[in-house]
Formats: sequence, structure tokens, C-alpha cells
Amino acid sequence: MDFSFFGDELEEEAGKKTIEEVGEGYRNIWVVGQTAHDALLPVTLEAMGQARGMADQIGVYVYGVLLGEGVEALGETMIAYGADRVLVADDPALAEYQPELYVKVVADLVGQYRPEILLLSATELGNDLAPRLAQRLNTGLMSHCTRLSIDMSERLLVGTFRVLGGEVFHTVVCPEARPQIATLQPGYFRVPYEDSNRSGDVKRVELNLAGQAGRLAWIDMGTTVELPPVPLRKARIVVSAGRGMGDADGFALVQKLAEALGGVVAGSRGAFDEGWIGEGQIVGVGGQLITPDLYVACGLSGDIYHYFGLQDAKFIVAINPDENAPIMKVAHMAVVGDARQVIPAMLDALG
Amino acid sequence: MKIIVPVKQILDPKGITVRRDKERIFINREEYIVDLGSKAAIEAALRLKESVADAEVIALSMGKPQADDALREALAIGCDAAYLLSDKAFKEADITVTVHILAAAIKKLGGADLIVAGRESSDTGAGQIGPRLAEALDYAQVTDVYALAVADGMLQATRPWAHSYAAVKAPLPAVVTVALEAFPPRYAHGARIMSAYRDWNVPVWTCADLGLDEAALAPLLSFRGESFPPPIEAEKFRGDPASVAQEVVMALRLQKVIG
Repeated sequence: MDFSFFGDELEEEAGKKTIEEVGEGYRNIWVVGQTAHDALLPVTLEAMGQARGMADQIGVYVYGVLLGEGVEALGETMIAYGADRVLVADDPALAEYQPELYVKVVADLVGQYRPEILLLSATELGNDLAPRLAQRLNTGLMSHCTRLSIDMSERLLVGTFRVLGGEVFHTVVCPEARPQIATLQPGYFRVPYEDSNRSGDVKRVELNLAGQAGRLAWIDMGTTVELPPVPLRKARIVVSAGRGMGDADGFALVQKLAEALGGVVAGSRGAFDEGWIGEGQIVGVGGQLITPDLYVACGLSGDIYHYFGLQDAKFIVAINPDENAPIMKVAHMAVVGDARQVIPAMLDALG
Repeated sequence: MKIIVPVKQILDPKGITVRRDKERIFINREEYIVDLGSKAAIEAALRLKESVADAEVIALSMGKPQADDALREALAIGCDAAYLLSDKAFKEADITVTVHILAAAIKKLGGADLIVAGRESSDTGAGQIGPRLAEALDYAQVTDVYALAVADGMLQATRPWAHSYAAVKAPLPAVVTVALEAFPPRYAHGARIMSAYRDWNVPVWTCADLGLDEAALAPLLSFRGESFPPPIEAEKFRGDPASVAQEVVMALRLQKVIG
């Protein structure tokens, strides 16, 4: 690989201050980008924003890393969103996700360039890749972070993530190993502004993947396995019923409200026990974990197990006659009243 | 086929109250249960065992001596054998240390054809054990699995991928992590609960049994403290249903939650 490309003269040119040897020669912040349909995922842009802010704080460069086939053009996009340099691993062998190959490519690059911080996204791919990569590099991983910062006194990445079903945050650091790796929970960080005037270098790295093949075979869907329904967790609006709806007529109101809002119906384990919803519609631990923009809980008291399933819901409306019910404490709007009277009135109000 | 399931014992979340306003966790009942992710993994392993000839399911747990209970529950549910990995030296174990311990135990058992773990635990939910074990043992991996089958030395799994599901095949040996929503656990059989305590032996393997050195037991992450989300100050609506409904719908539109 060509090292002169990122030589020291470039660093002086940019006028950044040199950091004394900390972390045994590890420096710069990397973002391993993720793409879909020839675009960077929003969470990658969120990570770029975090990386840029932290890099400015400690005076280092932001590197973007792209893996895939035909992804080189997105290097310029990464620069516009805050990267100084982009390393592109473009190879037909990387067109489909293969854990071992992706780990090998990133680990080899880390071995050569020695970043001090490496950010990935907590997506389906990131959650699969990041722990294996961290194990290969024998370093710690702060997964599903909702907050990141730098401890300036020790020059450490500080990661905060949720535990106990989102009711508590834990904050950790990784002082003993480099790079410090974190995955970012999508939707928790600001997407930076695109600045097409920013300039930087996009470099295609040489890959040594000869004789290397991934072990996964991605095959056509559905011929041999029966597919579960498209998960409730992708629904944007979810209207949920609890035992408080009383009877089948009460539950029918929930269905009407879901229809009026353009959402889908779900419920508590109680609603399942009443036979109103299927097993796949139960929200909570042992049921579905959902991430809707709007969650309307009707006649549902909601314990910690239920809340665990909707901790990522952006907006929660609870309708319950008991204002001390647990769901009323976590809702953004708490409607004190009988859902069987409130829902018909809401249907009227919605027109 | 040898299937190994890592089992985690956790504090029962039902015995815990988190008071955001007091910024404290109250433990009302200190009761331990089998983590719900682990339970889903046991369920997936047992379903697989029932679908192929000649399979055994072995449960492994790294934890305090009381994790013996979790393993006996695993036996009662249907696992064939269980080993407890417990030592005072494991006290500081973080995820990387746990992976070293589990990997050493799996090697001591002569490796596995398939390791089935939960996608994430219900308490800390880091979701790292599966892929890290796969790397430590150089096995193939598939995470977040909703449906699982094994035939001719290959596993086939269905997992969410890019707004839909994807089917993947991978050669054994492999690690899969399962989605807890897809494998609701079965109940333990009454007679098995009795024999889990009376008849079965759960060997304890210590640090010396696993031949782990000090370097493997040094945690990499260090804890900086806990914090709490701010208490949500819910906007309360009360009064007659018609006017309340009007207000709520208007507020939702104002907040651009609905169109």
C-alpha cells in the first residue's frame, strides 16, 4: 500500500497541531460508512458529525472508510459531510456483506493506519460486524451508544448507552486498548450540514483478497423457509390495545383508530390473552421490539416489560383512566380517560 | 450434532424499580432469572435438536455460584448437559473476558457444531457475545435470526436485512444469535425440574480448569458511572372526551406527529 499518500507534509499543510505521542502512535478518528442504494445511510452521516466534532476537539483528521462494490463515488459525499480523507475498499468480493472479509479489510487498514477511534453504526450490518472486528483487534466495543464525547484530560472516547430497557444509561471508556470502537444508535445524533466546498482526498486502497471468500451465501428468499410477517418494528405508527378496552367491541375501536392514523395494530400480552391480537403483535419483552414515530397505547397500563419493547418510540400517547399507570409516566401525552369514549371522539376529530 | 448455548443469569427486571426523579435504582426483590435472550437461544437450540437426528444441547454459563440455578433451569427445559464457569478471578469480567472464558470452555468441550446465543441480553443488551465468540473460535456467524434449520453441514437462517428479510446459508461450525421475539420459550417439564436438581450434576470449571492466564482476565472497558433519562413531564389531558380528543389531535398535528 502507498503510504506517502498520507504523508506528514499533508498534515502540516492543513495546519493542525501535532499531538504528542498518546495511545502509542494511534491517532485520527475513523467512520466506517454504510451505504444503501448508492447513498450513505443517515446514521453514517450522524457518525460523520460526531467524528468531525471530536476530531476538532483533539486536533486530528477524520477518515471515512467505505467497503463495497462501486462505492468510490460516495467518498466525495463523505468529505462533504466532514471527512478529511476517505479510504475506499472497492471490490466485487465486498459487494455482499461477508463478516470475515469485512473484518479482514477493516482490521488490515487499522493495522496500517492505526486510528485511535473507530465509529460504526448500530444497524443490522454494524451490529454483526462491530463485535467481531473488536474481537479481532482485541479491543473494547461500546455498543448502541446514544451519546459520545471526549474526555480531554485523558484523551478518551466516552460512550453512553442504555441498559435495563432504556431506563438507565451506562457510561464507559476503553483506556487499555486501541482503537476505541463505538457503534452509534441510529437517530440519536444530528446529521451535519453538507458542505460541498470541503476538500479532501479519496483513495482507493489495494486489497489482498485473493483466495479469500466469505462463508455466507445470501440466497433467494422464501423457497425453503416460511417468512414471518414484515416485522412490526418497522411500522411508523402503532396503535396498541390493552385489557382496558374491555371486549371485542372496544378492540374494534383500536383497529378503527389505527386505520384512521394509517398505522398498524398491536397490543399487550393481555390483549393477546383476550384473543384480540396474534402472538406476533405483542409489544414488549418476549414479543416485538418496535421503533415507531407514534405509539398510541389504549387501555393499557404498561409495565417495564412492555416499555422495553417501545423504548425507541419517538412519541407516546397513552389513554388510560388511571393517571398513575406506568405507561402514563413514560408517555409524552397522557390522556386521563376511558379509551372507549376517547377513541370515538378522536375519530371524529380526525375527520 | 453438538449445540452449545451460552446462558446468562440476570437480576429479574420485575424486581427493579427505576426512579428517574430520584436518579436511583431500587431493587425490591433480589431474584435471579435466566436472561430472556438466553431463553430464546435455548428454545432455538431445542427446536433444532428435535429436527435433526443425534443432537445434544449443552448449556454454559459464566457467573457467580448462583448461576447454577440458571443452568438447572436450562436442564429442566430440555438441555442435555450444563457447565458452570465460575471463579473468584472472574469477578471483574467484562464482555471480552467473558468471551475468553466461554471460548476456553468450548475448546475444552472439543468445540461445537453450532453455538446458539441470544441476540442481546435483556439487562445490558450489548449484543456482542455471539460475533465475538465466532471470531475467537474462527466460526461462521449469522446474527438476529428469526428462523433456523440445519442440513448437510450447512445452516440456513432467515434474518432481517434492509427493510425486509434475507435468507443466508453458512457452513458449520457456526455461531448464530437469535431474535428473542421469534423463539418464545417453552416451559420446563415438571418431572425434569425435579431431576434437574436431584439427578443431574452441573460441573464447575474454574480458571485453572480452563487454563486462562492473567492477560485473558483483564477487562478492557471501564465503567464511568450511570445516569438517568430526565423524567418525562407528560402533558396531561383530562375532561370530557370530545374536547380532550380535539386537543390531542390538534397537538399531534402541531407537533407534526401526524399529517
